[in-house]
Amino acid sequence: MSSFQGSEIAHNVFMAEIEGRKRIFTKSAYPPHYGERKVGEYREWIPQRSKLGALFMKGYVIDLGENTRLLYLGAASGTTVSHLSDILDSGIIYAVEYSAKPFQKFLKLAMERKNIIPILGDASRPERYSGIVEKVDFIYQDIAQRNQVEIFRKNFEFFAAENAEGLIFVKARSIDSTKEPKEIYGEVIRKLEGDFEIIKHASLEPYHRDHIFIHVRWRG
Amino acid sequence: MKYNLWFGIYKDGKVRKSENLKKSFITAHNPEPLPFSPADAGREVFGDDYYGILRKTAIEVCRELVEKELRREDRYVIALVRTLDELNSSINLLMEKLRDLKEIRESEVVEVFEQRIGELEKFKAEIEKEIEEVMRKIAPNVSEIVGEKIGARLLEKAGSLERLAEFPASTIQVIGAEKSLFKALSRIRRGKKAKVPKHGVIFQHPFIRNLPKKKRGKMARFIANKIAIAARIDYFKGELDEKLSEEVRKKYEQLSRK
Repeated sequence: MSSFQGSEIAHNVFMAEIEGRKRIFTKSAYPPHYGERKVGEYREWIPQRSKLGALFMKGYVIDLGENTRLLYLGAASGTTVSHLSDILDSGIIYAVEYSAKPFQKFLKLAMERKNIIPILGDASRPERYSGIVEKVDFIYQDIAQRNQVEIFRKNFEFFAAENAEGLIFVKARSIDSTKEPKEIYGEVIRKLEGDFEIIKHASLEPYHRDHIFIHVRWRG
Repeated sequence: MKYNLWFGIYKDGKVRKSENLKKSFITAHNPEPLPFSPADAGREVFGDDYYGILRKTAIEVCRELVEKELRREDRYVIALVRTLDELNSSINLLMEKLRDLKEIRESEVVEVFEQRIGELEKFKAEIEKEIEEVMRKIAPNVSEIVGEKIGARLLEKAGSLERLAEFPASTIQVIGAEKSLFKALSRIRRGKKAKVPKHGVIFQHPFIRNLPKKKRGKMARFIANKIAIAARIDYFKGELDEKLSEEVRKKYEQLSRK
């Protein structure tokens, strides 16, 4: 399709209307990774599959630019990483994932793209990969775990460059299934506030239920 | 201060480059955050090629680690087999209670109870399916020869795919018949006559069960030999070799004709 008419909402990220619906794309020289379609040189970003995609769809855009050094915690099979890799042409993504099974698929992605450094490791133990990852500008975390806030902070201590920003996704149910989501979000934000400046937080409805994102800046 | 980097040791502002990048990549641990960025130190060593070399090393290391980790799926199968056993005995017990209830009187409660047991049966089938799937993935050769079910049982008794691969064929032959084997061995030790078991778990295989008694031992020994080879291929290589099961089939046909 040559008639792709989109507007660039962030570096390499495009919004376009196709079949009467608003859709989001990243400009990509690579083939699809998770069954998404490609329109010309643009790869559709499915918000239901990627929380970062959902965030952009909801109108909250984080422009990472093209040179960002990024640490990604919880890469899974690489759905979101694939789009970040499109966005950061000359940047670099250090992607950590603990579980071998999804990592297998992710490795294929890492092999075809030049800006991904795959690390099979435990994000809760940054000391284990401290001699690999450089100081980064951005830390992205999508791991639904009870102690995910502590893990997030610990990785900032190890790897945050000056003025580094971060994005953390919190799933209420994986922190405490007995409490109200709102209560949990409040607690998480209070916990973050000491070490981080909260730039923005919001829910990911309707794309992901009981999830919020929190965009922060490290006070270091 | 000394720091472990993926490409070597950093000390007093100098890097001693590692002889083996994959090894140093795996051991790049430091208890505290580094006061500098490994990429800056690395560019002094590798120049513009830094990320290329890092990426290549990371991919190689991860490929090896993934393969090693995935072998742990054997633990999953073992846990599933044990769950299945537990489920089986629960269902049997519940069925007994159901029969008791039914004998006394018809009631709605009994109907609900029966439905619930039916659900457990469905769940059982799901577990069995999952075992089959994982077995085909992690032990294609053993599965091809004796089926996923018996294969999973052998794996459970061995404790891991690694141990199964290390077992001699003679052990595999009598896995599951430990009780009668040790009874026989202790009789022999006391100088008495004894019958050593010819087969354990693998007796469930139709190729053994369908043969006349006199030939079962021979077939069991043959199959156990092939399983031993198959388990080793599964553990070290992971690709299916159809020759093995073909040989087993031929042997069976030959024995059943005579």
